[in-house]
Amino acid sequence: MKSRTIKVDYLARVEGEGALYVKIKDNTVVDIKLKIFEPPRFFEAFLRGRTYNEAPDVTARICGICPIAYQMSAVHAMEDAVGVKVDGQLRALRRLIYCGEWIESHALHVYMLHAPDFLGYPDAIKMAKDYPDIVQRGLQLKKAGNDLVALLGGREIHPINVRVGGFYKVPTKQELFPITEKLKWARDAALETVRWTAKLPFPDFEQDYEFISLRHPEEYPFNEGRLVSNKGLDISVHDYDNHFMEEHVQYSNALHSLRKERGAYFVGPLARYNLNYDRLSPLAQETAHSVGLSGVCRNPFQSIIIRSIETLYACDEALRIIEHYEKPGKPAIEVQPRAATGYGCTEAPRGILYHRYSIDENGLITDAKIVPPTSQNQKTIENDLRHFIVKHLKLSQDQLTLQCEQAIRNYDPCISCATHFLKLKIDRE
Amino acid sequence: MHEFSLIKDLIHKIITIAREQHASKVHGVTVRIGALSHISPEHFQEHFVHASHGTVAEGAQLTIKVMPDITDPQSQEVMLENIEVVD
Repeated sequence: MKSRTIKVDYLARVEGEGALYVKIKDNTVVDIKLKIFEPPRFFEAFLRGRTYNEAPDVTARICGICPIAYQMSAVHAMEDAVGVKVDGQLRALRRLIYCGEWIESHALHVYMLHAPDFLGYPDAIKMAKDYPDIVQRGLQLKKAGNDLVALLGGREIHPINVRVGGFYKVPTKQELFPITEKLKWARDAALETVRWTAKLPFPDFEQDYEFISLRHPEEYPFNEGRLVSNKGLDISVHDYDNHFMEEHVQYSNALHSLRKERGAYFVGPLARYNLNYDRLSPLAQETAHSVGLSGVCRNPFQSIIIRSIETLYACDEALRIIEHYEKPGKPAIEVQPRAATGYGCTEAPRGILYHRYSIDENGLITDAKIVPPTSQNQKTIENDLRHFIVKHLKLSQDQLTLQCEQAIRNYDPCISCATHFLKLKIDRE
Repeated sequence: MHEFSLIKDLIHKIITIAREQHASKVHGVTVRIGALSHISPEHFQEHFVHASHGTVAEGAQLTIKVMPDITDPQSQEVMLENIEVVD
């Protein structure tokens, strides 16, 4: 046996975040598997033994784009456990910070990730060469959202001002005032975004989806409401575990969430819009109408328009909240832990985000469950690809890969930040 | 959070080289980890053991050089420096 050393000097590259395996027989998809490589992150496990008031800051680290969603679901679940309700201006401030997150997250996806797919660019940087003003508008719109999150949260990514019971510090009306000009600009920019995205070329593609979102008696949903669907679901968040289950599939590191005895379902902007169109502000409704949308949109490719409408709504709602704002007497209400289980579900930019915590009498977490929107949409993404791919089998491998990436990006899944994330393998028999 | 994919790519490269060189076994692997690569040697080792399982590189002696210079142009990178093989 002879040993030798081979000099390599090779830079390791991230291979992509996902792979799609498709098996085709007689022009029919007989097998499809969307594989997510990202390994498990064990947040639910390492929350055990931590105190109840650490949950919003620990879970915020799950996502740098939607940390508010994690904070909001965590605080609402913990408040449910300890039996307190945050109301009045503190409740309004929570909606306000959520508006900031929707604006920044939606602007990022619409302009930086999804629009280049429609216009045939590999990424937003290449797109900026031909559309400098549009890309600049997207960046500024995102910045308006970031500024709002930073103003209320202390910083724009993983903010640190949200706590169980309210906030650590609340702004005066005076302190909120300077952002109104930015938000007015953002509202106009969002209006233009709706008009611009509505003109993009959309493939004709609709499926018989079960849309699921929160629904509140008066408001477009952020933090509260019942879980409803277009197929008869109407339950309290407390009943979530009786109606949904998570399933581990061998080929993916992300769990699949299913409606018990029903299967795939659809969460996110399209679901919210279809189930809550009547709760949008008059401006958002009129704008949707003016670009030819009714109160129902079933084409996931058109989610880019719906995200723009929600951005418009978030600007409008943020301005409304600031107009009626008065500084609350205390930044947070008193919370005393007790042994209990609490449930929280809020509308992250990508769809419903469910948290459930059990805590003991000292406030230590004994059990945690977190179901993010991406895992809830995974089965629906696979189903979309199953139908979509059959119509496009004549495309080249590269073209088909791009089209599949676009179809996946309709859902703004966690892996979509990587502009070219997909390794496509097609077996033809 | 991208380690898994990164190390998978690295193992893929090692297998390809071993095959090209008609090597029966890879018994040593040397990598350089940049100061800003966001991965510790321990974490790298753990992923390597997992990802090399069942491959020609399983059980290879891993040498990890941690590069301290944050101004190095490759400070964010993970570099496969060399592999030791037996024919």
